[in-house]
Amino acid sequence: MSTNIDHLKEEHHHQPSGLMRWITTTNHKDIGSLYLWFSLLMFFIGGFMALIIRAELFQPGLQFVIPGFFNQMTTMHALIMIFGALMPAFVGLANWQLPMMIGAPDMALPRLNNWSFWILPFAFTMLLSTLFFQSGGPAAGWTLYPPLSLQGGNSMPFVIFSLHLLGASSILGAINVIATILNMRAPGMTLMKMPIFVWTWLITAFLLIASMPVLAGAITMLLTDRFYGTSFFTAAGGGDPVLFQHIFWFFGHPEVYILILPAFGIVSTIIPAFARKKLFGYDSMVYATASIALLSFIVWAHHMFTVGMPLAGEIFFMFTTMLIAVPTGVKVFNWVATMWKGSMTFETPMLFSLAFIILFTIGGFSGLMLAITPADFQYHDTYFVVAHFHYVLVPGAVFAVIAAVYYWLPKWTGKMYNETLGKVHFWMTTVFVNITFFPMHFVGLAGMPRRIPDYAVQFTDFNMIASVGAFGFGLSQLLFVYILLSTLKQPVTAADKSWEGAEGLEWTLPSPAPYHSFDTPPKVD
Amino acid sequence: MKGTNSTILKLSLVVVAMYGFSYALVPIYDTFCEITGLNGKTNSVAYTGNDIKKDNRFVTVKFISNVANSAPVYFEPVVTEMTVQVGKPYNTHYVMKNNSGRQLHTTASPSVTPGKLADHFKKIECFCFEQQTIKPGERVDLGIQFVIDNDLPNNVGDIVLSYTMFDITDKVVNEMSKL
Repeated sequence: MSTNIDHLKEEHHHQPSGLMRWITTTNHKDIGSLYLWFSLLMFFIGGFMALIIRAELFQPGLQFVIPGFFNQMTTMHALIMIFGALMPAFVGLANWQLPMMIGAPDMALPRLNNWSFWILPFAFTMLLSTLFFQSGGPAAGWTLYPPLSLQGGNSMPFVIFSLHLLGASSILGAINVIATILNMRAPGMTLMKMPIFVWTWLITAFLLIASMPVLAGAITMLLTDRFYGTSFFTAAGGGDPVLFQHIFWFFGHPEVYILILPAFGIVSTIIPAFARKKLFGYDSMVYATASIALLSFIVWAHHMFTVGMPLAGEIFFMFTTMLIAVPTGVKVFNWVATMWKGSMTFETPMLFSLAFIILFTIGGFSGLMLAITPADFQYHDTYFVVAHFHYVLVPGAVFAVIAAVYYWLPKWTGKMYNETLGKVHFWMTTVFVNITFFPMHFVGLAGMPRRIPDYAVQFTDFNMIASVGAFGFGLSQLLFVYILLSTLKQPVTAADKSWEGAEGLEWTLPSPAPYHSFDTPPKVD
Repeated sequence: MKGTNSTILKLSLVVVAMYGFSYALVPIYDTFCEITGLNGKTNSVAYTGNDIKKDNRFVTVKFISNVANSAPVYFEPVVTEMTVQVGKPYNTHYVMKNNSGRQLHTTASPSVTPGKLADHFKKIECFCFEQQTIKPGERVDLGIQFVIDNDLPNNVGDIVLSYTMFDITDKVVNEMSKL
């Protein structure tokens, strides 16, 4: 082991500088930073597409874009935000934090780690290039349902290959995470002593490994249906388009938990730090996370209640879906109990975490409403669904990522961000996120369908409000970039333990954290 | 390092297995649909049994037609509704006309609604068992012979038989050019 570390130290001294440093790096912190910057870039590209959508929907009629391009925007916005912004952000946080939290020098598979990241820019270049095709980008929705996706333009094989690359990147990243957590923990750190963020990422990685190959299979079948004469989903050849929906959502539902479980881990780390109390019900948090993960594999058909399922199927998927509210409720109550009688302070990471709990729970409740099969026939494919998943993904997953960045930024850089600006960023973001997405509940319940560039005039007022909110939300994130950049220009002042109530091995390291985290494994008792 | 290698190996096996599972879902789904009558899948080979006896129940069968992707054909049933006796074979036909200027190859996909009755709708003869070749402007009768089996539950409503006609000319011509 010690020769190994000497070798690493040597590498440290001889590392290339400039661009080659970032291309050849195998260091978990460098790769974590690459992932995080990349996801921020994608967040702005996907956000720009969202603003095109909201500009068009500001009033009824067609103003700015033609319907075909509008459909490309809704499709690309989803693909970019899911695979480009959120998933890489969580992998970036895992890269930075996991080795520091479990007392390891680096990730278990550093070269693979480099490769997982560097697949991404190529995949997204290919995906985004389809927008410049004569036949345009993908426009059948991110779910790629046949027969529509089979009838699209030339973008289809490019989209599928880029999804294959993204899947490969995620699977490699997940293997790395599991190999690191299972094999490189400091002596004395048993599984049930791991920080909760490590637990949620371990379970997320298993979800990735079990579900991404299923997506790869489904889109490969689409590809062979289109180009090699197979008939998996082509009714003319005896195939069944509904089968695609089953396979897709068998991947798709675990995927939505891939996007939220690491967020649970982040909030479960930040709330105890600022409530200055231990996390309430650590064991139950672990078991709740695991049960959510297991349940995610048997609820997929609640995305397709209206395809014509037998009654028994609809009832099964309704009840299993509602069952997920139980472990999720355990988590919410645990967070509240953690704060109960705590000595709370409200720094920016805590504010984002508190907003997460409240707003994610709103998204959870609308999810429960959608789980009710007979009611879902009214809500299906309306803006109510759009409101639901944006509440769990934006003030849910995105808020958790922002909270994590504020929380660990002093550890990563040794520099403290401007707390006042952080709070301004929080309040602007929170106000605008609600202005954007809350009215969507109302227009959805009133029957406005999703994925349309034009709508009936009675929906105008709420759509205008939502559009104003969306532009406010987008502009608020420029403040986030300003805060990040201005922090990087500060001198190093942050304490090793940057927050009074912070717990965990990463706070025993100096700030900024050294290039190699733990040269000798710490002792955990 | 040894522990890491065995972790990688096991996880890679899971990845391969789950990729295989996505393909395994195709036959699993077909079997599942067959058992439950999901999607109104009817028998895809001719029914040849002789254990169906006439009983004195009657049920209404309705016939509808669809043309997929606006293919250039006229395709309609000659009768849209029949009251049939359970257990007695009946004949009817659909009419198809080629409205295009070239020879077309077509195939029809059947579906019965409600799906749970699909299993009781037995096709003895059906144009959907094979593909059609139809000359420009030609008009053909496409026959079906069917029987409702005795296991049909009592007090069911109408049975709707739907055919969707697909133009598969490009695919057929492609395959023939490869031969």
